[in-house]
Amino acid sequence: MYSYVKTAVLSGIDAIMVDAEADVSDGLPCVDMVGFVSGEVRESKERIRTALKNNGISLPAKRVTINLAPASVKKSGSGLDLPIAVSIMTALGIISQNDLNNVFMVGELRLDGAVSGINGMLSYVLKAKEEGINKCIVPMDNLCEARLVSGIEIIGIEHLLDVLDAVSGKKVYYDESGIPVSEGMPDSSQTILEEQEEGSSEKLDFSDIRGQQVLRRACEIAVAGMHNFLMTGPPGAGKTMVAKRIPTILPPLLPEERLEVSKIYSVCGLMDGKRGLMTSRPIRSPHHTVSAAGLSGGGAVIKPGEVSLAHKGVLYLDELPEFAPSALETLREPLEDRKIKITRAMNTVEYPADILLCSSMNPCKCGYYPSNRCTCTRQSVIKYRSRISKPLMDRIDLVVEAAAISFDELNGSGSNESSAEIRKRVEKCHRIQQERYRDCDINFNSRLNPAMMQKFCALGEQENALMEKMYDKFKLTARGYHKILKVARTIADLDESEKILKKHLCEALCFRMETEQGR
Amino acid sequence: MFPHGNRTGEVMGLSTDITNERMKYEFWLSSIDGIGPKTIKQLMKYTSGAYEIYHLPPADLMAVRGIGEAEASLIFESRKTFDIEKEWEKLAEKSIHFITRNSVQYPERLKEIQDAPYWLYYIGELPSDEEMSVAVVGARACTDNGAKWAYEIGEKMADLGVSVVSGLARGIDGHSHRGALAHGGKTFAVMGCGVDVVYPEEHWKLYEDILEGGGGIISEYKPSTAPRPKLFPPRNRIISGLSDVLIVVEAREKSGTLITADAALEQNRDVYVLPGRINDINSRGTNRLIKQGAGIILDIEDLAADLGLRSDGGAVRKRNLELKLEKEEFIVYSNLDLRSKGLEEIASSTGMSVPELAVIIMGLMDKGYITETDPGKYRINAG
Repeated sequence: MYSYVKTAVLSGIDAIMVDAEADVSDGLPCVDMVGFVSGEVRESKERIRTALKNNGISLPAKRVTINLAPASVKKSGSGLDLPIAVSIMTALGIISQNDLNNVFMVGELRLDGAVSGINGMLSYVLKAKEEGINKCIVPMDNLCEARLVSGIEIIGIEHLLDVLDAVSGKKVYYDESGIPVSEGMPDSSQTILEEQEEGSSEKLDFSDIRGQQVLRRACEIAVAGMHNFLMTGPPGAGKTMVAKRIPTILPPLLPEERLEVSKIYSVCGLMDGKRGLMTSRPIRSPHHTVSAAGLSGGGAVIKPGEVSLAHKGVLYLDELPEFAPSALETLREPLEDRKIKITRAMNTVEYPADILLCSSMNPCKCGYYPSNRCTCTRQSVIKYRSRISKPLMDRIDLVVEAAAISFDELNGSGSNESSAEIRKRVEKCHRIQQERYRDCDINFNSRLNPAMMQKFCALGEQENALMEKMYDKFKLTARGYHKILKVARTIADLDESEKILKKHLCEALCFRMETEQGR
Repeated sequence: MFPHGNRTGEVMGLSTDITNERMKYEFWLSSIDGIGPKTIKQLMKYTSGAYEIYHLPPADLMAVRGIGEAEASLIFESRKTFDIEKEWEKLAEKSIHFITRNSVQYPERLKEIQDAPYWLYYIGELPSDEEMSVAVVGARACTDNGAKWAYEIGEKMADLGVSVVSGLARGIDGHSHRGALAHGGKTFAVMGCGVDVVYPEEHWKLYEDILEGGGGIISEYKPSTAPRPKLFPPRNRIISGLSDVLIVVEAREKSGTLITADAALEQNRDVYVLPGRINDINSRGTNRLIKQGAGIILDIEDLAADLGLRSDGGAVRKRNLELKLEKEEFIVYSNLDLRSKGLEEIASSTGMSVPELAVIIMGLMDKGYITETDPGKYRINAG
């Protein structure tokens, strides 16, 4: 007898619909599994057989064939255990195929038949909803996460046999808070959001930072235009402290961004469903020993890397020169294309990676250049800097010095601007940009291409004269010149100025990256 | 008086011609590969000079002590292959001057030293015998502090009308040349390669600036000689030999700079050093020289006084301040230093906001009062 169950597998951060088909027919007793399955799926055969046996369902002495269709998609992940088991039960006549026609299910089985949670639940349920399915059976562990998707019935089960009741609708299921599942979802995402607003900042605030007005200003510009930036400065100047506070001045995620970011976290198993969708922008700060696959994604079972986990947020690389060049160089593509494509012989996966790159480094090996405490030679300073490749440097728009702060500043009583105040300006600036670029496919000044720059960064006569002089004086390159224009555009937007004025260019020049090497 | 004068003129003219002719042979001898200073010394002892050597029969040559078959055959070989006229013309084309120890142009100071080179090639000028000259040398891999002082010593020497002799190398050498040039001084580079070879390559601009500034490029090696490690220690004796005083800014232990210092002491030159912290490798060598009795530079004025030179005391900043500055520009400018300062430091000492400061700094840079040493770091312009 033939049966099928609708389920899905992950590819990138999205799910692909898969049918778990089972057929029980005469022949030598065996269980065959076909349909381009990977190692971990092949293992599930044994888990399923044992789980069924432990629940009083022994496989008959017949030939059982399991097919995962379509055969062109590689099947990986442990979420197929439950649908395959249910499919076999249906083929054996325990469940009626009619009850399964519009039901979607995923979950991993234990040997005793218990159903345990899996990663990427958000993507599975979104896909099911997209396919017009009206009932999703998911592990109880993933219930909260699955219920973040509205407009589809979600049933959480703890045991394989719960499926019997779940599909026939005989039993009322309760979620963890004791509310019957069929009563519909209370608008919990909203309450969770508010809770998080208070909790997420963890009392990090820009007002904690003493002095550093140049650095604060640079951060504001960088965030306002989403410009990648680099902080240089001696150890202990507060580079990391500033980086940690950057999310506090970023506007919250837009609704469509929340879902996308949440999906990435869900796929990685980092999502806490109880807290609802991600609301604040993520900040990821991988240690400098991170591998290329760890940073940009990959591995035997392809997973998103730090650059994707920082999607729509901040990737903070502390001590930039200490990162392995092979790892750093993988950032080139995502910084340009805002996504990363990982290609293996069998399949290609694409992860979003739209990040604000924030990095820091010491100015030299000892860390004190150019102060008198520095014991480095000029050559060693240049050598230290050259550890970061030109192509990566080219993708950084702003450089700012995090100076060592004086005792007076450290103990100063004057309070600094709070994150909320800075964020207000940043949000305004973002709105200005969105308004300006509504007809283009970009959102921020940092994404301007040279053709767009002609239109949006046109300079007046005076400004042109200044840039002409500075172009020679600083021996700028075309790319360097464009970076200055982009940053100046953001500074002008912060100033709510329609035109880029001389003062905006001057400030952009102070934060520029390129410099004449040597001497 | 008139005929006498006239005749003298004739004689002079004649002797110049002869000298010129003989110089070509000297040039030929200097160009033979494999004939080193020792062989030359022997040859010069027993002959009247290159002209005679060119015309000596092989047997007579071999009779000179220290001239073996190898040397003799080298000399004979090159008689055949070396086109004296053509090569001499080439020299003129490259405007390279060639002089011997007997030439009037040969610097008196250099003559005094024990192993003075027999020949010198140079482009531009040689240090004048009438004017004081100072050698400024130091580590190639110098610190910023060292670079700063080399530059300032160069500037000061230029202000006092003293020539700066150094080796065009990276680091201290280059900075001392630049400092001198910045204040319109004459500076001379003694090379460890041919005078027409720019080494290190990135100093091509400096090479040109030195010549443009009325200085010179000097070497004892024939043109087109490529730089080789063993050529550098001998040239150090020329650096100190061309100078009255040697100033060592930074040196490691066992460095070429210390070879120069040793040469200077042998040549009876005063040695002054810039003291440093004892844990800096670049100060180990200089501090050792202090231990051995070298003079210490306390500051630039002190150095000038030690050299018996009167300083006119015109500090760079003061000179620049006579120029017109806006009030805000003045505030920023007076907060700057020869050591570069970051934006943050400037902002906190002037109390200005970053946007304000940016405009002023770019203005000052535009007017040439300040320079940027690194992104976001500025110092006053000494030039």
